[in-house]
Amino acid sequence: MRKITARVYRFDKEKDREAHFEEYTVEVNEGARVLHLLHAIHDTLDPTLSYRYCCGSGQCGSCAVRVNREPVLACMEEARDKITIEPLNLPVKKDLVVDLVPTLETIASLKPSDAQKMPKKSDIDAIKPLRDCIECLCCVSVCPAMDVIKFLGPTAMRQEMRLALDPRNIDDRITAAVQEGLFTCTSCQACWKVCPKEIEIPGKAIEKLRYFANKKGLTLPRHQEVAALVKETGRSVTRIEPTFMELMNADVIEPTGPVKATVGFFIGCMYNMRLPKTALDAIEVLRRNGIRVIIPKEQICCGSPLIRTGQLAFLDTLKKRNIDAFWNRHIDTVMTMCAGCGSTLKNDYKTPFVVMDINEVLTKYGIEPPERLPVRATYHDPCHLLRGQGIYDQPRQLIRQVVDLIDMPSICCGSGGGVKSGMPEEAAALGERRGEEIKKTGADIVISSCPFCEFHIAGHTDKPVKNITTLLLEGYKEKDRKTRTLTDPPGN
Amino acid sequence: MLADEVVDCHVLVIGSGGAGVRAAIEASQYGDTVLISKTIVGKGGCTTMAEGGYNAVLREQDSCGIHFEDTLKGGAYLNDPELVNILVKEAPLRMGDLIKWGAVFDFTENDEVAQRPFGGQQFPRTCYAGDRTGHEMMTTLVERLDSSNVSSLQEFTVLDLLKNGESVIGAIALDEKGNIVLLKADSTVLATGGGTKVYDISTNSSSGTGDGFAIGYRAGAELIDMEMIQFHPTGAVFPYDARGRLVTEAVRGEGGLLLNNICERFMKQYDPERMELSTRDVVARAIATEIQAGRGTKNGGVYLDVTHLPREQIETRLPVMLEQFLKFGVDIRNQPMEVAPTAHHIMGGLRITTECRTTLSGLFACGEVAGGVHGANRLGGNALAETQVFGKRAGEFAGKSEKRIKKVDSEQIKRKLAYIDAFLTGSENPAGVRTLLQQSMWQGAGIFRNATDLNKTLRIVNNLSLAPIRAESLRNLAECCIVRNMCLTASLICRSALIRKESRGAHLRVDIHQTHDAIHSPFLHTFMSPFREGIENIGGLA
Ligand SMILES: Cc1cc2nc3c(=O)[nH]c(=O)nc-3n(C[C@H](O)[C@H](O)[C@H](O)COP(=O)(O)OP(=O)(O)OC[C@H]3O[C@@H](n4cnc5c(N)ncnc54)[C@H](O)[C@@H]3O)c2cc1C
Ligand code: SF4
Ligand code: SF4
Ligand code: FES
Repeated sequence: MRKITARVYRFDKEKDREAHFEEYTVEVNEGARVLHLLHAIHDTLDPTLSYRYCCGSGQCGSCAVRVNREPVLACMEEARDKITIEPLNLPVKKDLVVDLVPTLETIASLKPSDAQKMPKKSDIDAIKPLRDCIECLCCVSVCPAMDVIKFLGPTAMRQEMRLALDPRNIDDRITAAVQEGLFTCTSCQACWKVCPKEIEIPGKAIEKLRYFANKKGLTLPRHQEVAALVKETGRSVTRIEPTFMELMNADVIEPTGPVKATVGFFIGCMYNMRLPKTALDAIEVLRRNGIRVIIPKEQICCGSPLIRTGQLAFLDTLKKRNIDAFWNRHIDTVMTMCAGCGSTLKNDYKTPFVVMDINEVLTKYGIEPPERLPVRATYHDPCHLLRGQGIYDQPRQLIRQVVDLIDMPSICCGSGGGVKSGMPEEAAALGERRGEEIKKTGADIVISSCPFCEFHIAGHTDKPVKNITTLLLEGYKEKDRKTRTLTDPPGN
Repeated sequence: MLADEVVDCHVLVIGSGGAGVRAAIEASQYGDTVLISKTIVGKGGCTTMAEGGYNAVLREQDSCGIHFEDTLKGGAYLNDPELVNILVKEAPLRMGDLIKWGAVFDFTENDEVAQRPFGGQQFPRTCYAGDRTGHEMMTTLVERLDSSNVSSLQEFTVLDLLKNGESVIGAIALDEKGNIVLLKADSTVLATGGGTKVYDISTNSSSGTGDGFAIGYRAGAELIDMEMIQFHPTGAVFPYDARGRLVTEAVRGEGGLLLNNICERFMKQYDPERMELSTRDVVARAIATEIQAGRGTKNGGVYLDVTHLPREQIETRLPVMLEQFLKFGVDIRNQPMEVAPTAHHIMGGLRITTECRTTLSGLFACGEVAGGVHGANRLGGNALAETQVFGKRAGEFAGKSEKRIKKVDSEQIKRKLAYIDAFLTGSENPAGVRTLLQQSMWQGAGIFRNATDLNKTLRIVNNLSLAPIRAESLRNLAECCIVRNMCLTASLICRSALIRKESRGAHLRVDIHQTHDAIHSPFLHTFMSPFREGIENIGGLA
């Protein structure tokens, strides 16, 4: 037996004006789950604590709660000391019990019909991965889009895809999905990262549904424009100023000191054409830290804006051109700086080379310590870096070498998934929420590591928004200034 | 807490597991149907948890006759043959319904529903959806329910059946806040599932508290064979709080070995021929004997080892087991599992006809709460089939029943209100009573039984059922009623176990020397109602 203390959310709609937390200390057995901790509280200390469960083995989806803000199944998550247990982000009925039924009722079902065709094994195999859902609504609890716009949510989309794949279904599920908010998803990946059954809803349902929608001519006009632009120019944005590639006259950039590693640089449309200055900052930081950078000129858009919006017609051409651009030059490590490109190359491509994000490169080979700057920063996790590539520690390690870091919850800023162009009000609403979070931290500046996030967040906060490499460079500049004043003869 | 909420309908279905939802879908074709359950529809009960599969004769080489034979043999010939006949004939039809309604069962290369071999069956006739068959069925049924006009009352706990004279005319329930609701119905279907939660170690979901047995009994219905409890040989023993969790039979099917703490394949002592793949009762007893003899593991189990199997086989055939054990810190590719028997299924239940009529007019029963289909031991895969076959029948015959006068007996309501009111001024913690009950049942009415221990357990159970348990708030009333139901179900088990003075199927009386085998047994069903109890003899009552 061991003692565990937990803070538990308590709220009785009928009695309490607002929710509060109660702290309990109970004894549980070795290996106890959060559910057993709740049982111990209920059975020995407070029988009025309400929570829901049934199977106790991860099969029914009754017991989802948030532990330290992350949705989990109480019956599977190990109980640890000093945790905070809260209900899912859904209307609370009492304590940890939320109202699941209204959301469950929105999930579509197969309409019985006599005109149906029976499925084949290939249909069954395609549907099966979408069928494991236990409707726990962990995904709904974290979906940012649902908070700001009419959207039935990730598991409803999963079900639409499941129906669309089934010959027994006779309805038009694609049009239904579009009406239910198919294009509001920001591709933030939050839903499947919390899914206890690891159902990859954004990739396996939403993008596929958008592809079907594309075939039905239902792609949003703004998304079609982007696709046309990529097709015509190889880039997803228009040229308005000299691009990064134009500014770099050499295609191999040697470091100032000894070479620690050589990488090919996949620049991406945004850093190339909208934020070239940031990319130049990155180059400075890489040079200073022994990274030799090769920039093949033939590279083009990675295709992410097409994949996320379901426009796959000439995707394979893009992929081939990009892979050839690097592989023909015998590059075995390709570095991305844009979180979206990185996630796309890692997850949607089959590359013969290794793909690393710039944060991974810099932490792997180590950086020269910059000077500390007297500002407090907060860090916005780009969805495609945190969830798309699992990169959490590296950017924090780098930032902490320059400034004090105040963390904030990792939530989508609204710039992804084609939402900024296709659903601007939604993107703005999500951006505003980020702005509020930033304010709460009291930080002086906001750091991120994704051109979409940097660009978008800048419009929703009065604090300066900077890329990590820009921050590092500022640290180096400060360091150089100090060494200079130290070495310069006084009174000169 | 006024009884002013009244629902009036044609058919009331109690329980939203496989049997209840199937019944409601069917009944709704005949009139207003209300489905009430103490969990959210689709999330409660044991159907969602079933992993293994659904038995149905689908191939030319197989036949209903062989399925019938297998089921009777497995059931130690205690099954009601008419019910078994219906089960085997209609299981394929009901499977067809599920497929038509969108179920995603595994298919063969020939685009037919795939089937796998299961214990005690001469033909591989168990249909499956990976190792989440029950969940697949529930998802399908709930989708189908959505396009019916059944109204659902979710998270309502039924306390008792309403009686008008000798007929059942609905039920009395509590909503989640503890308010009383009356539900009047021309016909009522009891589909509340099983109740092995009365044991300390059980595979059941939290709703497997035996409410239906208790509710039926109190209303005056007759129950049969309540001593027949199936103990599954392999339940998890760690973590302690999740003890009893089912470790599927497929582990042994794939070649898993049972070892004691001196690394001996002990099954050779008990069934040298079939070894690990012997029947559930034999393996359960063997494991229990090893543990009792001190040859168990530190956590109180024996080893179930698959480390000799190719890693890939484990990963592809036993993915859920691999995932579940990994969560609990055991990588079954490198380490043996620890397992021990766990209370799994109640074969007994309300006596029903082939039309699912109980001995009370107006009351139907289907699914695990009904008795007679599985006899003294259930074959793996027959329970899921039972939910569909008898769920449909119960819904159909309840739906086709006449309208009746539903005059609520205000005395009955008053008595019930007084009964639950008493909990508000009670003094004992219901959780404590529940734990004592579960432990006593495990010790005295478990796998090995004798009259002395059964009598002792029955005394404890009877005392516990009188404990002045306390409801801290109105919301806790349901919990108190459930604890009382558990006590009553436990007492039915003990009493029936005492009455059956033979060993048969899952019921083992170590204190009785017996010369007959199952097929030559002079006994039939035990029966129990508030009015009579005993055991049927071949050729008459004992
Ligand atoms: C872990 C596990 C695995 C299994 N695997 C298999 C298998 O592979 N194959 C097979 O054939 N069988 C299997 N079984 C057995 C089978 O699952 C059950 O016998 C069957 O599902 C029972 O179905 P049911 O509809 O009768 O009851 P359940 O599915 O248990 O549903 C009971 C319903 O009644 C409700 N209820 C109960 N009491 C009340 C009340 N007082 N008021 C209101 N509502 C109430 C519950 O909320 C629930 O909705 C397994 C059982 C378990 C526990
Ligand atoms: S998709 Fe995953 S997280 Fe969402 S409801 Fe289903 S099981 Fe839960
Ligand atoms: S990817 Fe993000 S926005 Fe899209 S459905 Fe999932 S959680 Fe919602
Ligand atoms: S209780 Fe069923 S999933 Fe946790």
